[in-house]
Amino acid sequence: MGEILVVDDSKVMREMIIACLRAQPGLSFTQAASGLEAIEKLSLKTFQLVVLDLNMPDIGGIEVLEFVRGQDKLRSLPIIVVTTRGDDASRATALAAGASRFMTKPFTPEKILSEVRELLEQPAGAPR
Amino acid sequence: MSDVVDLAEFRTAFVVEAEELLTTANTSLLDIEKALRAGNKNIRAVRELFRAVHTIKGLSSMVGIEPVVGIAHRLETTLRAADRAGGSLALESIDTLLEGVRAIAKRVRALADGQPVAEAPSELLDRLERLESATPSTARQSGAGALILDAEIAGKLGAQDQAQLLEGLAQGRRALRVDFIPSPLRAEAGSTITSVRARVAKIGDIVKVVPISVPVTADAPGGLKFGLLVVTSESAQALADAVGVDPGMVYSLAAPPAAGILGAVLEAEPEEPSVSRHGVVRVDVERLDDVMERLSTLVVTRFRLSRALAELAAAGADVRALAQIMNENGRQLRDLRAAILRVRMVPVSEVFERVPLLVRGLSRATGKQVRLVIDAGTAEVDKGVAERLFPAVVHLVRNAVDHAFESPDERTRAGKPAEGALTIACFERTNSQLELTISDDGRGIDRKLVADRAHRPLPDSDAALLELLCLPGLSTRDEATMTSGRGMGMDIVKRTVEQLGGELTLQTRVGVGTRFVMHVPVSISIVDAFTFECAAQRFVVPVTMVEEVVDIDPARLVRGPTRRGGEAPRLLERRNETVPVVQLESLFRLGDRGGEARKALVVRRNGEPMAFSVDRMLGQQEVVVRPLEDPLVRVIGISGATDLGDGRPTLVLDLAALSGALSAATLEPAA
Amino acid sequence: MSILHVVFKVGGTEYAMPADEVLQMESYGGATPVPGAARGVVGIVQVRGRVVPVLDLRARFGLEPIAATLNSRLVVGQDGARSVALLVDSAREVLKLDPEQIEPPPPMMADDSQGFVRAVARMGERLVMLIDFKRVIGEERLHGE
Repeated sequence: MGEILVVDDSKVMREMIIACLRAQPGLSFTQAASGLEAIEKLSLKTFQLVVLDLNMPDIGGIEVLEFVRGQDKLRSLPIIVVTTRGDDASRATALAAGASRFMTKPFTPEKILSEVRELLEQPAGAPR
Repeated sequence: MSDVVDLAEFRTAFVVEAEELLTTANTSLLDIEKALRAGNKNIRAVRELFRAVHTIKGLSSMVGIEPVVGIAHRLETTLRAADRAGGSLALESIDTLLEGVRAIAKRVRALADGQPVAEAPSELLDRLERLESATPSTARQSGAGALILDAEIAGKLGAQDQAQLLEGLAQGRRALRVDFIPSPLRAEAGSTITSVRARVAKIGDIVKVVPISVPVTADAPGGLKFGLLVVTSESAQALADAVGVDPGMVYSLAAPPAAGILGAVLEAEPEEPSVSRHGVVRVDVERLDDVMERLSTLVVTRFRLSRALAELAAAGADVRALAQIMNENGRQLRDLRAAILRVRMVPVSEVFERVPLLVRGLSRATGKQVRLVIDAGTAEVDKGVAERLFPAVVHLVRNAVDHAFESPDERTRAGKPAEGALTIACFERTNSQLELTISDDGRGIDRKLVADRAHRPLPDSDAALLELLCLPGLSTRDEATMTSGRGMGMDIVKRTVEQLGGELTLQTRVGVGTRFVMHVPVSISIVDAFTFECAAQRFVVPVTMVEEVVDIDPARLVRGPTRRGGEAPRLLERRNETVPVVQLESLFRLGDRGGEARKALVVRRNGEPMAFSVDRMLGQQEVVVRPLEDPLVRVIGISGATDLGDGRPTLVLDLAALSGALSAATLEPAA
Repeated sequence: MSILHVVFKVGGTEYAMPADEVLQMESYGGATPVPGAARGVVGIVQVRGRVVPVLDLRARFGLEPIAATLNSRLVVGQDGARSVALLVDSAREVLKLDPEQIEPPPPMMADDSQGFVRAVARMGERLVMLIDFKRVIGEERLHGE
């Protein structure tokens, strides 16, 4: 039903996110360990949803968002930003840069599952 | 929802990753301290430290380790401020930061050991919090004037990035930009932004990678290219090669009169190329052991095959074609084994990563100044060996700082540099053996002092001195010092090395220094071994342990006087050396063989030879050694078991340890 | 909730341990002696590619040794990372035991058996001793005995 790109520099974190989302049938997963890798994969393949970390070694999630939203074909791709920084400024920055949803770590498996389900159920092109 | 995952299951994985991040954090902190002492900043190290702490915080919050979240949060806040201030940190804050990292490490360890995780000490949290406000917040001034940058790139560069490029130029290195265009074709050929970054990181510092939108073309199907900004000492050609593009894709970022900045050349050493961890797979040692275990069953099956083949041949069948296949199969097994062993290898330099931190702590605790030199070269060692060996290295390092080095005053009076020199070196002695040396220029070990303490006669050689030092429970200090008081004794160091099938030696001169040398096998598990028979039981002994297999002429055996009513000791004359002969069957109480043994295996320990007489030699082959670790069967002189193809375990003997135990027993004052 | 137990005989007495502590059962065709091993250890055997010590329960329980017979069995038990094979006279049966069938050992037996017997299961006339595997293979009493 959908290919999800999970972007986080921590392997354990990626595995945890995937483990959470496995409860939703029909999803397959691609991992990216850095912002650059994410941008590269997004440019070469079609994904239905991205789970994106903000703090990464090369370029951060905000830069990834800015770049992605600047691309016509990626403009409406659902992106869930997941970060350890839960302050309002980060939230505002991420949402301004084009995040569809904003979640702070720690989150529960149920929480991320329901966010993903909602986003995937939206008809394409619907307002985020 | 029953299908929802329990994130606590990820705690083991968390421990593995956290420990790696903690190593990064410690290394970065030491790098930062070094730079600060030299009056420089290490922006990259600050950022790496920040990221390591940040990731630990996120992970520990997910798996619910609150005390770690708390400490990591305070560290993170300080470090974020430092990063924003262009890597500015007060030298005095390093200790507190180290303490914070240590407090996390302790809790991660507790988690790994299944112990309760202690609350974060509020006093430490307070001190960390005070650091935040103390961190200078002066932003670096931008000096973009000397750089040529496209608008699309300039807009993405922070002031620190520009400063880093300029600093590179000022150090006489090149500031270059190279473009990489990702495509499915290139990805298939293994060229992705990740692999490109890894290759470029080997020849220079990547300051920034900027994604740039381009029109979709056949060459750029993703409508994307990456601009990599790099500081390097290498040529533009080398950079183009690393990225796999035409040199025309490389641009210099230096404005023509950039030489003007050269007046400000810094004396900073060029930084070590950062070792990329991309493309690296972490695997539990257990899984590797499992693979090895499966390989060993293959090896055993092969033994059985070759037996069956020999029987066929004996029955008169033509087995030439089969034998050829067997040979081929043997070669493939060896290759497979070598490949698996390679997977298990880690660089020795990685094993030593934690030593600088240890030395720093010891140096603080003792007030002694230490100059540490680590030279591990490119040597590699099996992960299992490394894990067993590391505690022994730690012990010798502790001993050196605690006991060997004099106080700075004392050293100066003795005409030595105030700083003690501690050198750890490692190189591959042969394909299968490492030589690891830990030497200091301290006060040396006083034989008389050790002898007095052990209530033994004065040792007449360094080897004898080492034997004394390795007596269980011997300490050369009356009072346990703060740092070495607990820790393991030299006896454990020695046993560790010997359990690995290695040897520990010592050279020391009073007033000049001490050197410990360990010879250890690069990897364990599979060894080339002699098989022999003694009193109808088969045994195996590693070839490397045996100096020589000699024939025994019973007529020329010299029998000494009987001691304590036991069997008369026998002596063998061999090349002007007298070698005691031990009858393995009586030592092991295997029953009588009837008649004298005709063969003996000579081993040497601490220079002293000893011969073990056996019935007959059966051959030489590679065997898979499984250690015997159960306490019920842990015996000196028996290092493990192997399967020679008959489905039964055959004992693998450690004759060196056995000879050591025997000589120790004869040295023992009769109680 | 009845629990599956493996039942074996040593010197005419029936013993049992929970089936989930038992790795497997094997016939016994001799072990490789280990000189200097703990008392009661007859040697090592290979079980599924793993080398495990063999502890003779007759020796462990202070009985006269007998020669192995066709009935002799190895009950390979597991305790954490340790696997140890118990050499027993015979082992044929697997029993389901209900908690109400299980009682603490009589005090006198508890003293005499060095804690090897954890409980006693009563099934009509039949008495089965539930052994404490961890204690039986515990090395602390074996050396220097």
